[in-house]
Amino acid sequence: MTSHVMGIDFGSTTAKAVIIDLDGEIVAARVSHMGAVSDQAVKEAVADVLAAAGLSQSDMKRTVSTGYGRRMLDIADKNFTEITCHARGAIAMVPEARLVIDIGGQDSKAIAVDASGLVVQFAMNDRCAAGTGKFLEVLARAMEISLDAMGDTAMQATRELKISSMCATFAETEVISLRAEGNSKPDVLGAVHAAIANRTLGLVSRVGKVGPVVMTGGVARNRAAVHHIERALGLPIILPADPQVAGALGAALIGLDDYRAEQARQVAAPEDEDFARQMVLGGACAPACKGDPVMARMVAGSSMTAGRRALLAE
Amino acid sequence: MGRVDTIIGELGRIAEDPVGYVAGWKERHGRKAIGVLPMNFPVELVHAAGALPVVVQESRVPITLGRSLIFEYYCGYTRSLVDQAVTSQLDMLDGMFIVDHCVALLGAMDAIRYALPDMPVYLAQFTASMDEPWSPPQVRDEIALLQARLAALCGVTITDQALRRSIALFNHDRALLRRVYELRRTGRIALRAAEMQVLVQSAMVMDIEDHAAAMTELVEVIDIERRPAADGVRLHFSGHFCHAPQPELLDLIESCGATVVDDDLYTGYRYISTDVPDLADPLDGLTTWYFDRNNNVPCSTRAQKTVDWESYLVAAVAADRSEGVVTLMPKFCEPHMLYFPELRKALLDRGIPHLLLETEHEGLALETVRVRVEAFVETIKRRAAVAPELA
Repeated sequence: MTSHVMGIDFGSTTAKAVIIDLDGEIVAARVSHMGAVSDQAVKEAVADVLAAAGLSQSDMKRTVSTGYGRRMLDIADKNFTEITCHARGAIAMVPEARLVIDIGGQDSKAIAVDASGLVVQFAMNDRCAAGTGKFLEVLARAMEISLDAMGDTAMQATRELKISSMCATFAETEVISLRAEGNSKPDVLGAVHAAIANRTLGLVSRVGKVGPVVMTGGVARNRAAVHHIERALGLPIILPADPQVAGALGAALIGLDDYRAEQARQVAAPEDEDFARQMVLGGACAPACKGDPVMARMVAGSSMTAGRRALLAE
Repeated sequence: MGRVDTIIGELGRIAEDPVGYVAGWKERHGRKAIGVLPMNFPVELVHAAGALPVVVQESRVPITLGRSLIFEYYCGYTRSLVDQAVTSQLDMLDGMFIVDHCVALLGAMDAIRYALPDMPVYLAQFTASMDEPWSPPQVRDEIALLQARLAALCGVTITDQALRRSIALFNHDRALLRRVYELRRTGRIALRAAEMQVLVQSAMVMDIEDHAAAMTELVEVIDIERRPAADGVRLHFSGHFCHAPQPELLDLIESCGATVVDDDLYTGYRYISTDVPDLADPLDGLTTWYFDRNNNVPCSTRAQKTVDWESYLVAAVAADRSEGVVTLMPKFCEPHMLYFPELRKALLDRGIPHLLLETEHEGLALETVRVRVEAFVETIKRRAAVAPELA
């Protein structure tokens, strides 16, 4: 019997899969690293998360995909952009957040969300991967340091140096030059992370700087990146427990919304005004999880049948 | 394939290869072709002189040799113009006319003069100050001067009768194009944004009588053959003052669950919005057209107290029932860049969803554009779904 929902984030460098139960609670989550967009990596992530949950694909009531490869997944019932999914997932993780900063492998986003968890405005990098995970990868190679060690090393910086935040390739040249001038690895890496923060601040300025701020995506695991972005913003950043899966979680929750809307349609009377609204919500997959203020108002204020109310309250 | 597809296909081939079309037209007719630049030149003058007016288009080829004459921080259209001059793509023109509306175009014209020293190039300056009592007489004097220059270049006398006939022909063609716009705006036909652009772009380079004949046939059959398809999110395009956005971009935007229902693009409604009034003196008519057009679709390069672009845009969005605005802004387009904060503020103040896409001659990373447009469409749908609750 199907009992869960899966969200898959088919990113540029990693594949993430999350399984939630019908209460919206995470049952299992997995991240699979890959060199580039890879069907094989996604299959591995899906297989791993199903194994971790002790479930099979047939147990899924819905599977929703996001990320650059979102249209490549045959098993997905629907797909949504990572902007919509990261907003949905980040707010589920940190309900009070009003600004989501997501920095992934090849893109970075600033997403302003309203009290209902809906996207108000968003901004993305649109010409190059400067300020993203790819930027860090390139510079890690130039600095001969592992990606995992970059953040901790950068936090040891004692001097403020400057690196252009405009181009990963030219930044690599700058890094090599700074090292050749005798600057320490921590100081140079500190400048690298400051450059990312400047880039991020530019994105935030386009959507409006408003807290609380939550950070998602792989770069959120880099404490130097978080530190420098906090400094640039002048606001603290809230880090969820597993920021990298926010997009996959959001996709799963959108799938759950869709499932619940379908259930609501099945028990509602056609002339029910709220039924009509549920039809639209189901089609648009607006936030509908337990605790969502918009849905709560609708459930409380509607003239739904008792059966449908009970179903939505599940 | 129906007649609509056939007609749009034929017009599209002309729009894609204006150089080839102009060369063929000159060979058939033995007359001159005069290049004009956006956006204020009254093309009827060229037609009345017996020549083919050609609104010079951005070329789709990469800019190469032209880089020697114009900096990278000019917009793609001006860099393409210069590149076309340097690579002999403008050789089929017998002269070039511009009524300046942008300092970047003036720079491009200087570069073109350098690259094509034997090409007759004429610049007119219609005042940008639209409210002053001396403005209409100034513009009329400039139009009269252009008339004299064209007459000399083409070796003809441009009579009032010839000019009135040309005006009637172009008005007729614009009316046909506006009819198609209205059918699309009201949802009576399905027509891709790229197809609509073909209709207008081909009007900019074709013999107007041939274009009007094609449009007449199109209007007769289009609401039979092109019944409206399932609606996407209704969007209004705004921007691109001089040249056509790449059709691949327009198609991509509409593939993301959107339907473009209206625009204020130059290769769109801005070009066809306004007819030349039938006045006793056709030069007075052309003068009036210059002022009327800014009343109808304001341009940020004109200074006028009584109209502004943001008010026009907000009203247009309401009239065409668009759910959002996509601004298509060419990189380094100063008239648009400098005015954009006003547009953005007006849209934000009224809660009109808005997405800015900066375009480039060299093309865009289409996948990132797709993500942004799809996210924009998703946002509109989701906010509309809960709007009653949020109200």
